[in-house]
Parts: sequence; C-alpha cells; structure tokens
Amino acid sequence: MEPETDQPKAGGCGVGGHRKHLAMLERLSKRSSSSSPASDAGAGASPVDAFLSRFAGAKLAAESALSACRASSPEEDAAATASLAAAAAAIDDIDRLVAEASHALPPYELRAALSTAADLRAAHRAAASELRPKKSFSFRNKSRAPKNPPQDPATALPPPPPPPEQPKPSLDPILPGLGFRGRNGATLVKDLRASNNDKDGDFTLADLVSCEVYLKGKCRALYIHRLRDCRVFVGAVLGSVLIEDVEGCTFVMAAHQIRIHEARATDFYLRVRSRPIIEDCSGVRFAPHALHYEGIEEDLRESGLGEETGNWANVDDFKWLRAVQSPNWCFVPEEERLQAVDISEGHEQEDGIMFSFA
Amino acid sequence: MGLLSIIRKIKRKEKEMRILMVGLDNSGKTTIVLKINGEDTSVISPTLGFNIKTVKYQKYSLNIWDVGGQKTIRSYWRNYFEQTDGLVWVVDSSDIRRLDDCRAELHNLLKEERLAGASLLVFANKQDIQGALKPDEIAKVLNLEVMDRSRHWKIVGCSAYTGEGLLEGFDWLVQDVASRIYVLD
Repeated sequence: MEPETDQPKAGGCGVGGHRKHLAMLERLSKRSSSSSPASDAGAGASPVDAFLSRFAGAKLAAESALSACRASSPEEDAAATASLAAAAAAIDDIDRLVAEASHALPPYELRAALSTAADLRAAHRAAASELRPKKSFSFRNKSRAPKNPPQDPATALPPPPPPPEQPKPSLDPILPGLGFRGRNGATLVKDLRASNNDKDGDFTLADLVSCEVYLKGKCRALYIHRLRDCRVFVGAVLGSVLIEDVEGCTFVMAAHQIRIHEARATDFYLRVRSRPIIEDCSGVRFAPHALHYEGIEEDLRESGLGEETGNWANVDDFKWLRAVQSPNWCFVPEEERLQAVDISEGHEQEDGIMFSFA
Repeated sequence: MGLLSIIRKIKRKEKEMRILMVGLDNSGKTTIVLKINGEDTSVISPTLGFNIKTVKYQKYSLNIWDVGGQKTIRSYWRNYFEQTDGLVWVVDSSDIRRLDDCRAELHNLLKEERLAGASLLVFANKQDIQGALKPDEIAKVLNLEVMDRSRHWKIVGCSAYTGEGLLEGFDWLVQDVASRIYVLD
C-alpha cells in the first residue's frame, strides 16, 4: 500500500498528478535515451544548461528586433517591417527550441520558457498591429462582432442585394468564359463539338429567364446560376454540375456529379455516376435521363456515361438527414414524364431568337 | 504541458501528421485524396459527412480528414480543428462566381485559434479546365497576402483529374509540418 498515491484527493490532485507526471517523463526520457546510447555521454545537467543559454540568445535576438521595430519612426516602414520579420523568426526559433527540449526540461524551466515565448508573441503582435493598424483580421474583433455579425457569409450576403453585384464585374473581366448570360425569352444553342480545342472547358448558364438552352457535345464542368422558367438540355458533362438558385425550370443532363442548391419547383431528368445532392430545395422532382441528338451515344460513352446507373433516384438531401423520405423532393410520376427529347434539329445560332424548332 | 509533450513524443515515434482538407463544395477535396492514394476517382458522390484516409507518404503517415463542403455542413468543420498539423484549402479555380464565398470562408477559418499553428496549403484545383484561373490570380482574389506573418503557407496549382501538382503541394506541406513538429534527422 502506498498511502500517498492512493489518496490523491487528500493530498491534493496537484501533488499526485505532478508526481505521476514526473515519473512519466522519467520513463519517457529513459526510453529515448536507451534507444540512442551515444547521447548518454552528454546527458546530465548539461542539456538543460545548453537549452538555457540558447534560449537566452534567441530571447535576446527577439527582444532587440522588437525594440528596433518600436524605435523606428513611422516613415521607415521597410526597416520596421524587416525587424518585425526578424522578431517573428526569432520567436519561431524560441518555439522550436522549447518544443525540442520540452521533455528534458524541469517543469519550472519549461513553464518559464513558455511564458516568455507567449509574452514575446504578444509583444510582436502589438508591434505588428501598430505597424499595420488596418490588418483585416486578427483575434480581437470579438467586441465588434455584435455590431456587424457576418459570422456566416452565406447568410450575410443575401440581405444587401447591391453589394454582391459589385464584385461580379471585377471578376468578369478576368475571364468571361464560355456561356450564356443575361438573356430573356431566347432559344440558345451551342454545339461544343464544333468549338472544341485542345482542352475541354467549362460552361456557364447565368441569369436566364424563359429561355430554351440546347448544349450538345461534352464539357468538363457546368455552372448554372439564377434561371427562371427555362428548359435546359445538356449532352455530357465529364465532371460536375453545380446548379444554384433556379425556379420553374426543367433540366435534362448527364454528368459525373450533380449538386443542386436553392431550386424550387424544378424537374431534373438525370443520368449521373454518383448520387445527386440537393440543399435548400423545395418541390424538386427527379426522373431518368431522356435526351437524344445525333452522336449523343458517343458523347456519353466517351465521358464514361454510357450506362444508366439508376443514381438519378438516389438523391441525398443535405437539409433532411433522416431515414424517412425528404419532403423536398419526389419522382416525376411516370405519366407526366417528358418523352425522349430530340434536339438534333437545333443549329447553332449566335443570337438564337430566330431559331426554329422542328 | 505534460500531456502535450507526451503526445509530441508519441507522434515523433510514429511520424504521424494530421491533415485537414476543407474548401467549398465541388472544389475536389475527395478527388484529391483518392487520387494521391491511387484510387479510382470516377465515381465520387458529394461528401455527406467526412472521410478519413491514412496515407503513407515518404516516411510519414498522414491522417487525412476530408470534410464535406456543402453549406449545411460547413458549421461542423470546427469539430475537426483540434491538433491539425496541416490545413489544405481546396479551391475550384474555374468557379469564378463563388470566389467571394471562398475567400470569406477561408478567412473565417484562419481566425480560428486552434488552427493558428497549422501550415496552410492552398490548392488551386481544376487547372486542367480551360478557363480556370491561375494560382497567382487565385492568390490575389483570395487576398492571401494579408495573412499573418507567422503563418506558413503556399499556393499550388493542381488538377485532381490528371494528378498534376498534387505531389508538389503535399511535398511542401509534409516538409513544412515536419520541420516544425519533428526534430530534423
């Protein structure tokens, strides 16, 4: 019986825990030293001393860099930034030293070293924020959080409609990309087989109202955003389709992956290699793929979509993670389903309005 | 501190690293993980929840946590932050419209104190798609320059589809993490 260790509560958890801790450290250091007997020669008090002297050196370096940074006038921005970086490097050195020596050090030295490192970090942060007061993020915006709480940028974005408009023009010039955008009441036809160059690209459908879209051939990725009352027919997508914010539409398409966000009252006729998913949707219905044009079999086969997988029916609703059927989607009843649609007759038109549909 | 030093010790022995993969949905996280593991990438459903893969990489054993990116489950990312050594942020370089979302989510994540010490690898994925933004353009749009000086980070263009760039990215990440948590030997 060992009364001291058997009654840790009487003696206080701290004492018992501390003793255990020491014993554990001793075991660990024994194990490591037995695996490397060569280092035994230098063992003893010297590793601690060596650490202490190296630590003091690194600490001095960090402190002098920090004071140099503080001393430099606001005009000497470059010099201040350089000494700030030097301080950061020195603090990193300290951290590494401490981490390397952490199991060899007596608890007091370890705690002292850690608190010194933490103090230096804090001083560095203060100096850095003095130098660049407009840092766009830091750990201390808690007090500001209640005033403007954009914790979830997704929910924060919708309320002010104009701001989301602004970043778009800034991004659009970077890359217009292939696609149909901002049309109303048009018939839009694109044959990707005709324009295929060395590598396949992506295609975008955005801000369309009451349009008919016929996309023949293959593409690597398809992005669909803000469609109202449109009918969209797509050949083969050798990658993923991302659909966001659509209403009153019909889609017929084949792809490797399909993600559907914020769709309302929309039908999907799909062939898909993996399970399609919906999120924030209501009144969406699913049915098997039904599309035909000359050469579609080849496009599908070349994209690995030659065979029906049945996955059109395996819809995952991220807003309904329960065993019972989600209320947000269902199948299109057989009698309501579209007959296989043939879009062979559609010819590519820049403007599309004159398109005649046989 | 006692526990931390013990954990360090154990980790050193097994040379383990914990890597967290995050990013918006449709960015290609699962495809990247399966590709570097040499698995079939042709049938991957959007991730509902998370996948864990243990991958032997050089002399290290990487525990890769691949967490789903759909909006509904992003709030669960925080459950995976603890003890992350390397953070991989995956960007769909051809999804220009959502780059603003992408930036906001990334900077939100970087505020997280539990990830403060993790090395950050940004994968500008889908470089094989014509029209994808180049890594330096992605870095500009994501405003990576404002990051804290103490953060180790790198952006690498890649294609999970062809495999290009994946090894370059993971090489950097593993080296950077190793130089921080393991004594170089």
